[in-house]
Amino acid sequence: MKYLIVIILLFIIFSLGSAMFYLVKGQGKSQNTVRFLTVRVALSVVLFLFIILAAKMGWIEPNQPVFMKP
Amino acid sequence: MSQDITPNEMNHAEVAHGHDHHDHDHKPKGFVKRWLMTTNHKDIGTLYLIFAFAMFIIGGAMAMIIRLELFQPGLQFVEPDFFNQMTTMHALIMVFGAVMPAFVGLANWMIPLMIGAPDMALPRMNNWSFWILPFAFTMLLSTLFMPGGAPAGGWTMYPPLVLQGGHNVGFLVFAVHMMGISSIMGAINVIATIMNMRAPNVGYLNMPLFVWTWLITAFLLIAVMPVLAGAVTMLLTDRYFDTSFFSAAGGGDPVLFQHIFWFFGHPEVYIMILPAFGIVSEIIPTFARKPLFGYVSMVYATAAIAFLSFIVWAHHMFSVGMPLGGELYFMYATMMIAVPTGVKIFNWVATMWKGSMTFETPMLFSLAFVILFTIGGFSGVMMALAPVDLQYHDTYFIVAHFHYVLVTGAVFGIIAGAYYWLPKWSGHMYNERLGKIHFWWSTISVNVLFFPQHFLGLAGMPRRIPDYSTQFAEFNMWSSIGGFAFGLAQVFFIYVVWKTVKGGEKATAEVWPGAKGLEWTVPSPAPHHTFEEFGPVDLDKMAHGKDH
Amino acid sequence: MSEASKDQYYVPHLAQWPIVGSIGLTVTFLGAIQALNSETSITPWMMFVGIGILLWMMFGWFGDVIKESEEKLYNTQVDTSFRMGMIWFIFSEVMFFAAFFGALFYARTFSVPWLGGEGTGLATNEVLYPGYEGVWPTNGPGELNGRFEIIDPYHLPLVNTMLLLASSVTITIAHHALRANQRSQTIFWLIATVVLGAVFIFFQAEEYVLAYQEFNLKLNSGIYGSTFFMLTGFHGFHVTLGAIMIAIITVRVIKGHFKPESHFGFEAVAWYWHFVDVVWLGLFIFVYIL
Repeated sequence: MKYLIVIILLFIIFSLGSAMFYLVKGQGKSQNTVRFLTVRVALSVVLFLFIILAAKMGWIEPNQPVFMKP
Repeated sequence: MSQDITPNEMNHAEVAHGHDHHDHDHKPKGFVKRWLMTTNHKDIGTLYLIFAFAMFIIGGAMAMIIRLELFQPGLQFVEPDFFNQMTTMHALIMVFGAVMPAFVGLANWMIPLMIGAPDMALPRMNNWSFWILPFAFTMLLSTLFMPGGAPAGGWTMYPPLVLQGGHNVGFLVFAVHMMGISSIMGAINVIATIMNMRAPNVGYLNMPLFVWTWLITAFLLIAVMPVLAGAVTMLLTDRYFDTSFFSAAGGGDPVLFQHIFWFFGHPEVYIMILPAFGIVSEIIPTFARKPLFGYVSMVYATAAIAFLSFIVWAHHMFSVGMPLGGELYFMYATMMIAVPTGVKIFNWVATMWKGSMTFETPMLFSLAFVILFTIGGFSGVMMALAPVDLQYHDTYFIVAHFHYVLVTGAVFGIIAGAYYWLPKWSGHMYNERLGKIHFWWSTISVNVLFFPQHFLGLAGMPRRIPDYSTQFAEFNMWSSIGGFAFGLAQVFFIYVVWKTVKGGEKATAEVWPGAKGLEWTVPSPAPHHTFEEFGPVDLDKMAHGKDH
Repeated sequence: MSEASKDQYYVPHLAQWPIVGSIGLTVTFLGAIQALNSETSITPWMMFVGIGILLWMMFGWFGDVIKESEEKLYNTQVDTSFRMGMIWFIFSEVMFFAAFFGALFYARTFSVPWLGGEGTGLATNEVLYPGYEGVWPTNGPGELNGRFEIIDPYHLPLVNTMLLLASSVTITIAHHALRANQRSQTIFWLIATVVLGAVFIFFQAEEYVLAYQEFNLKLNSGIYGSTFFMLTGFHGFHVTLGAIMIAIITVRVIKGHFKPESHFGFEAVAWYWHFVDVVWLGLFIFVYIL
């Protein structure tokens, strides 16, 4: 599950990077920048919902909420 | 601001191919406007070069103090702590103040001329890149006059030692931040210029090698200077805000700093050599009167070196303690760098093969570069061997190694470039006789200076120590004599340059008969504005304009 | 692009702002050093003066650029230079964050387990820090600053994630609206973005107060406190900058700047905001949750 989260994060970073690429390449005329940014927002929302789901279902364990001195 | 350029004046600038237009130079009048507020790539390049040379002299003076103290065993002239300040500041100033700004200065001057661009892509930011540096180095150098003195923990700034520096830690960290800001902005400018400002018919594989090496260097700079900024920020918070990045008691690790630092530091050493590769690759074809051998392979080799530089950093840390797998990986990865570097050296040699060579000063310095840099490369391969490096680590062997790479490599490259392009900058030929004297004086003395240090290191003399065992006395004395002679040779260099700028034989536009490159199509001295309108350039004038 | 400047790459002939910037930078840093090195805690007035000079420079410099841009002095090639400058600047920011993420990963995968006796750290653990277990989160074997609690990721940080994600959605809507030339829509969604960003910063400040006062989680709470505050702190700083830039962009849209086909300033800021949001997602995942 952890790895799935990391993979989705990598996809987000990739679409952000693609948007950056077209920001230079597209001269503001092509649709690509805004399209990739939309993709990246959508992916982020998906990831966020997935994290909440995973936490609810107990697929991921959060850091010890309270740190106890040994 | 900048309303002084009217459409009418623009029409005068019919100089798309760099024809003479002395009458329309439009140099801003007055010192402040000309130098402090300049946006002209040539003026900013000049500022960078002058600044770099001033720093070279200051850093060199520190080296003289070091060699003076090491002239004989025992403590004669300076306190040990001051000696450590000298070694630390010498390195910081030479790396960030002399070599890097000198390359940026050359980039500023030559890249727009070489690709047919009117100026750097972001001229105002170009000004800022330069004008941060004098402030940064004033801040750093001011620590010498403070109670507690300058940083003395070595230029690598390893914690916890450097954090014991008292009040100078803040100055060190913020000065490094400013240098980083300057370098990043300079690199962004170089990238934007090369990618966006080439004359319409100049493709990537038409660019001179100096432009190529600088493009790759600029990528390295942008990738690693922020990492250095992060590392020194952690030092700052560890020193002043009690964070624990580098303290085991808090769960951190001093070795973490070394990893972050060398992730910056290894690409940094290529930042300091790749542009020199570019310069030499310009000079050798000119004086061998043959096109550069294997142009495309030179480009790929440069890119390969840059890539490898990111994955070999821990070879600086073999003795610090690392899992065995790590030592093996970093050892083999490091040795791989010898392959693309070898490609470059063989290509230079092949360029000269059966050429009708002449030996003007730039060529002499380039030849010395090829030979002496290769010595530095070989000692590098020796130290890449992890089991053997444990012996060499932190001895004078490493000092000899990186001075061969940086002095007879980077600095010789810069000096070669300075002689090569000085006629273009000043409009006068330098005095060949004086240039040759400077060359032989420098080359002999630099070998007397650094070659014995190999033996000292192999015999076990540690670096950064002001005193040594008497068995090392003789070689140290030789080394010091060479050091003083080399230092004096660079003072002589000031005289040669001064004399050239003041007067001398008028240089033609071409300067070197048969030299290829767009910079030789504009008059000497290069007018204040060149290639003001974008348009196709004559590819026949470029070294790699047609097929290669 | 007007006819006069079509083929001419615009090169400004004088730049008075850089030297102001250098002075501002120097005064800021000297002020910071003075405060850091002072034996007693002092108000770093000099640093504030320096920051003031820097702000003055930024307004003046960007003002000049905006003026020239609106005067149509820039052709597409100048525009491309600005774009390249921006993306490589952001790349350098990525690398800056990478250094701190690197420190976090190194501490979690190497130094803390080693101190706990894993691998070659066995002797270190037994001789120097017997009994230290090396479990994350930790303030190290020295238990620096004593016992602390960590922020529950499913309260404030979760809300903050939603806020920042929502702000990314709103700025994307504004982006689409600007391209469709619906200016009032654009302005509305931009203002929404600024508000969401401001609320995020407010909650982040709230979280710091909570950490310091209730949880005893401080900057000096060992490696956990160090990485937590440095990463979230630098991120918060970038959010603040981004929010200010969006506010300026909003004002410019209200003034009638930008066209559906040419709005680089807008795109750059929007992209910056997306970048800041993605960094936050990384933080949320690696600092708060996993």
